[in-house]
Amino acid sequence: MATRTPALPLDQSLHDITTDIGRIPLRFPARIPWLIAFILSLALLTLFLASITYLFARGVGIWGLNIPVNWAFAIHLYVWWLGLGHAGTLISAMLLLMGQDWRNSLNRFAEAMTVCAVICAGMEPIIHLGRPWFLYWMFPYPATMGVWPQFRSPLEWDIWAVLTYLTVSIIFWYIGLVPDLATVRDRAKKRGWQLFFGIFALGWRGSARHWAVWQKTYRTIAAIAVPLVVSVHSEVSLLFASGQIPGWHSTIFPPYFVLGAAYSGFAMVAMIAVVMRHTFRLGDIVTERHLDVLAKVTLAMGMMTAYGYVFEVFDGYYSGNAHEIATIHDRFFGIYAWSFWGAVIFNFIPLQGLWLRSVRRNPVLLFLIATSSVIGMWLERYMILVTSLYKDFLPSSFGHYTPTFWDWSTYIGMLGLFMTPFLLFVRYLPSISIFEDKEVLAREKEEAGRG
Amino acid sequence: MRDVPPVSGPKVWRSLAEYQDSEAFGAMLKAEFPSIFELWLVDRRQLLSVMGASLALAGLSGCKPVRSDDVVPFVNRPEGFLEGRADHYATAVLLDGFAQPVIATTSAGRPIKLDGNPEHPAFRGGSTPFMQAAILDLYDPDRSQAPLAGGHSASWAEFDAQMTRWRNAWAASKGAGLRILIGPTTSPTLLRQIGELRAALPQARVHLCDPLSGYAGEAPPPLRPKLEAARLAVSLDDDWLGPGPSQAIHARAWGDRHGDVPAEERLHLFAAETTPTLTGAKADSRLAIPPSRLGSLAAAIGAEVGVAGARVTLTETELAWARQVSKALLMNRGRSLLTVGAHAPPELQTLAVEVNRKLGNIGQTCAIAAPLGFVPQAGESFLDLARDIAARHVSALFVLGANPVYAAPGDLGFARLYASVPLRVHAGLHVDETAAISNWHLPLPHALEDWSDARSPDGLATIIQPVVRPMYDSRSLHEIVAGFTSDQPPTAQTLVRQSWARQLADDSAWTAALKIGVVQSPAPQSLSRPGGLSLQKGLPLPRDDEIEIVFRPDPTIRDGSFANNGWLQELPKPLFKTTWDNVVALSPALARELDISSGDMLRVESGGRAVEGPAWVLPGQPPRVVTLFLGYGRTRAGRIGTDIGYDAYQLRSAAAPWTATGTVRPTGTTAMLATTQEHHMLDAEGAGVVRTVNPDHPSARLESDADQDSFYPRWPEGKPAWGMVIDLDRCIGCNACAVACQAENNVPVVGKDQVHKGREMAWLRVDRYYAGEPEDPETYFQPVPCMHCEQAPCEMGCPVHATVHSPEGLNLMVYNRCIGTRTCSSYCPYKVRRFNWFDYTTDEPESLAAQRNPDVTVRGRGVMEKCSYCIQRIEAATVKADIEERAVRDGEVVTACQQACPAKAISFGNLADKASEVAGRRSSPRNYALLAELGTRPRTTYLARVALEDDV
Repeated sequence: MATRTPALPLDQSLHDITTDIGRIPLRFPARIPWLIAFILSLALLTLFLASITYLFARGVGIWGLNIPVNWAFAIHLYVWWLGLGHAGTLISAMLLLMGQDWRNSLNRFAEAMTVCAVICAGMEPIIHLGRPWFLYWMFPYPATMGVWPQFRSPLEWDIWAVLTYLTVSIIFWYIGLVPDLATVRDRAKKRGWQLFFGIFALGWRGSARHWAVWQKTYRTIAAIAVPLVVSVHSEVSLLFASGQIPGWHSTIFPPYFVLGAAYSGFAMVAMIAVVMRHTFRLGDIVTERHLDVLAKVTLAMGMMTAYGYVFEVFDGYYSGNAHEIATIHDRFFGIYAWSFWGAVIFNFIPLQGLWLRSVRRNPVLLFLIATSSVIGMWLERYMILVTSLYKDFLPSSFGHYTPTFWDWSTYIGMLGLFMTPFLLFVRYLPSISIFEDKEVLAREKEEAGRG
Repeated sequence: MRDVPPVSGPKVWRSLAEYQDSEAFGAMLKAEFPSIFELWLVDRRQLLSVMGASLALAGLSGCKPVRSDDVVPFVNRPEGFLEGRADHYATAVLLDGFAQPVIATTSAGRPIKLDGNPEHPAFRGGSTPFMQAAILDLYDPDRSQAPLAGGHSASWAEFDAQMTRWRNAWAASKGAGLRILIGPTTSPTLLRQIGELRAALPQARVHLCDPLSGYAGEAPPPLRPKLEAARLAVSLDDDWLGPGPSQAIHARAWGDRHGDVPAEERLHLFAAETTPTLTGAKADSRLAIPPSRLGSLAAAIGAEVGVAGARVTLTETELAWARQVSKALLMNRGRSLLTVGAHAPPELQTLAVEVNRKLGNIGQTCAIAAPLGFVPQAGESFLDLARDIAARHVSALFVLGANPVYAAPGDLGFARLYASVPLRVHAGLHVDETAAISNWHLPLPHALEDWSDARSPDGLATIIQPVVRPMYDSRSLHEIVAGFTSDQPPTAQTLVRQSWARQLADDSAWTAALKIGVVQSPAPQSLSRPGGLSLQKGLPLPRDDEIEIVFRPDPTIRDGSFANNGWLQELPKPLFKTTWDNVVALSPALARELDISSGDMLRVESGGRAVEGPAWVLPGQPPRVVTLFLGYGRTRAGRIGTDIGYDAYQLRSAAAPWTATGTVRPTGTTAMLATTQEHHMLDAEGAGVVRTVNPDHPSARLESDADQDSFYPRWPEGKPAWGMVIDLDRCIGCNACAVACQAENNVPVVGKDQVHKGREMAWLRVDRYYAGEPEDPETYFQPVPCMHCEQAPCEMGCPVHATVHSPEGLNLMVYNRCIGTRTCSSYCPYKVRRFNWFDYTTDEPESLAAQRNPDVTVRGRGVMEKCSYCIQRIEAATVKADIEERAVRDGEVVTACQQACPAKAISFGNLADKASEVAGRRSSPRNYALLAELGTRPRTTYLARVALEDDV
């Protein structure tokens, strides 16, 4: 540990960090690209709103669903979005508690990404309901009829898992943001900004007492968040594993889903890191070493996900169950084989490039590989859902699924729901942790001075 | 009529009559009902009678009872009327002119369900899909509602005025030039009326339009089978288990002789067929044969059993089959039966009679019977009519209850001929293809609306009594026919009563006959011997480049008369599982040769005419034979049946309506076929889904069926513990259960597009599986309702307790609690759950709402639904038993599917009662659970099909 290379270049001052990051919300450096991106995401958001308006007016029949494939895009994307969000919590909470300094350059926007992704994920099960206006029946409220939700159902756990996750993510993100909000407040020149950041900085003055309370709170919330990294996606996997459908009914699902989620999440963080680093010229804060570490973790998670693939296939054959074997064959050779092989190729072929240090430290290549992983995981979620449902047990009930225009419009529109708040975050808040990076730099300088 | 009662304003009115004379009403009428407005200009008084009908309709369109005497809200409740209580009436609906005796259930005056009449000695309560679906025709929103003259609304008074003039002319000319064309009928009253008409107007002629018996005046088959006495049945292209007026009768005989019956009482079946049918699917031995060699096959069998034969040209396989069949026939003298299809040429019919006579079967397993229905006399066939029209011998043509413009063979060009007749009058339920080019169209009442009578195929008569007042301004066929000779025709009721004046003289006999739904009258006399035997005429052999074409009525639409029936359109055809379309069935070999697959459009040409329809690769179809199905391609059927499918009549010829030779080639386009089940042969994955047992292996149990350990406690066996057993050996795949379920449980029709997307709503489906070689497959049927698993995967998935288990073992669906997560359906291994993807019911025509069962919730959008074991019937029986302070008796709860099943393949009851029928069947060694290895412990189980060794 002691001999590791510094996470941040030592030739910068603490003030440089503050300036580098703090200037972003106050004197936004990339107005035009941001504006273009924002208009695009607003357009997508409009598409999303139009799609769900039509959806609520007509019913879920506007999608390509049927019996047997009565879950498709909404559930598959629920899993996908939630998976993307995973890296945020993992980087923030788990690495914080493990004292991994390099996380400090990544955690803020990763957390923001998590919040946005969890919002999208949370929307999916709601819009997929046949009667979404009765969503509240899933909560244990004192109904006059005395009916409660059914706690054996994985969907019931879903609600709690997602809500907990969302709440904890927001709290954790916000608490982490408070000292930086104060920094930006202090540097703001305009009255409006001073007020805006002043209110959300909650009167932070940076006193030792403040720091002591903050440290305690932050680490406590982190400790609460850490189990969520594992539990949320384990729970999501049970949505499938609890059913007896071949291809779902497997004990490997919880770890398989968690690793897949973390894999796609890290890939997503890598994508955002590369983009932000380039756009805001943050090469000194999100360094090549950061990219290197991100790539290594992505590689590790990807390889563990690959292990899940191998064992899913092995389990299927080992079970000797005709239905399981048929489902595996269907994934290999059936009409949805493209989703299986697509997942394998996108997830694991480019990933192998990350064994090379030069690739890991090349932002463009890393971005491409990460994009491939995110697409691969998208295909994997689709594959798990559709290839299992469309052929389950009775040959008479086999069916097909083809997404309709509204399936796609809801999905693509939802990218707007993800991007819009995230772009606002990037524009108006310190998107990388100032004080934590300064902390790292200070310590590194100290170590360098000693060493 | 939005502005009937003006709340304020200067002009007030005291009565509807006064209001209807007002100009404001006229303006409204012109805007809303232009056709009635014309009438209003002519005669405002007369309008009242028309409006009367519309007002009755207004009652219909609301939730009010349909019977016009009930339209007024009750101030004093009529005696014997109890809101919410169902009443039952014995009557009959018609199929091909034959009575299908039913018990009609009415609720608040609305008929809501038809079921087979259990008192009928032949039907014994059995149903067919047509019988079940007839109720929907009653509420068909496209039914003709008032007479039309030249396409415009007219009144019966106008028609009567015209009729008086015509009648006087006919009286003078003895009916010269008058032709009446009737649809198939067995009505003793109508036959009597026709007799009287012939006497009064000897120059008039009565022709028959029956596309399912032929156009040249063919006599119906003389053999009337009595399967209950047979041990061996041989069918030569006779689909007696298939759709038709006798299906329920034969299915019952089949059911009684299958399942857990001693081996020596089992009915064995050999079937040779030119296209796969239900009979072939259930046969112990089946032979696919092209129609050109069917005669040879019959002759070969005839020769073996000692009937003078003819030269035969058969393949080795066919010859071997003929020998095997003959051997079996000879071993079962007096207890065997050989039948040929109704569409076989007369020589084959005669041969069948002779074979049976030789074997001593006549009087034992069959009878030679006189035709029950109307048989045209010489010179009175449809073909004769066409000739006479062409020769300008016809000055007035009355088409009564037929649709010849649609159902005439393509080589006659009948539409043109018909249009050339000076006076064309059409009477029917719909303004159909014929009505569209008639001078007059007269609406007929539905069979449930007026008096009539008819015979069922076994010869017994049923008085058809109305169970509801006519909804529209219709007039009975009997009254119209009586109008040919009388200016004051008696009512249909009087006419029918007159026909039965001798047998049912006094009121008590009459009432008893109505109550029971059968007249125990002697069947028409048996014939001793039909005409001579000549087998020299064979069918023309196809040239080498030609294929043989077989015409068959569509399995669910029949000759086209059910085209506007949504239930029957959406009912999967038993063998293809297609809906909303007719197909061109062809063999896998021919499909390979043409390099096409199911759904590719084919162009079939014969005799210079051609039709184009979607291919269906049908396992078991003879290699070079294609089958075309009648009944589609309607141009004026109504909002449901118009412009779907192809019109096979176009390719038919009047001389040989059932077969043709021609060519077939792909057009290069592909059609969208809405199928409910795809083509899958049973492989390793389907193993154990349908099972067979044989005398060596009488148990259907597999190793994987063994109870598995579970963390969960067993579901306590409550009292009662409802369960169902379905006997696959009895099941003939007829679909009656599926339609009955739809009628009972308000299951919506969703349309072709939705079915294509995989969103059909049927709670009960009949799965069809093939095993073996596609050229000669084994065909299995398996009705699949909800399994009501004791360890139901669906219940565990629902987050809001919308699907829960009852103490009696029912897997309940709580519609108003459902939020539509669809987890239950994802987890259901049997995929029996159905989801309301859209709002399927609100936009239905309002008249259809009157059919709905008031005891079953109509489901809204976004809600899951599925088979409930007819919980409304369970509850009704439980309430009754509770009132009488006793337990529910075995057989007291009958589910809709069980009630409909003509083969008695479905039994339902309390499994905890070891003496119950269902518990008895469940203890059979043939009993097995579907996907037992999943540990769901289904309450619905199956009895395996019995396979026999080849030698009988």
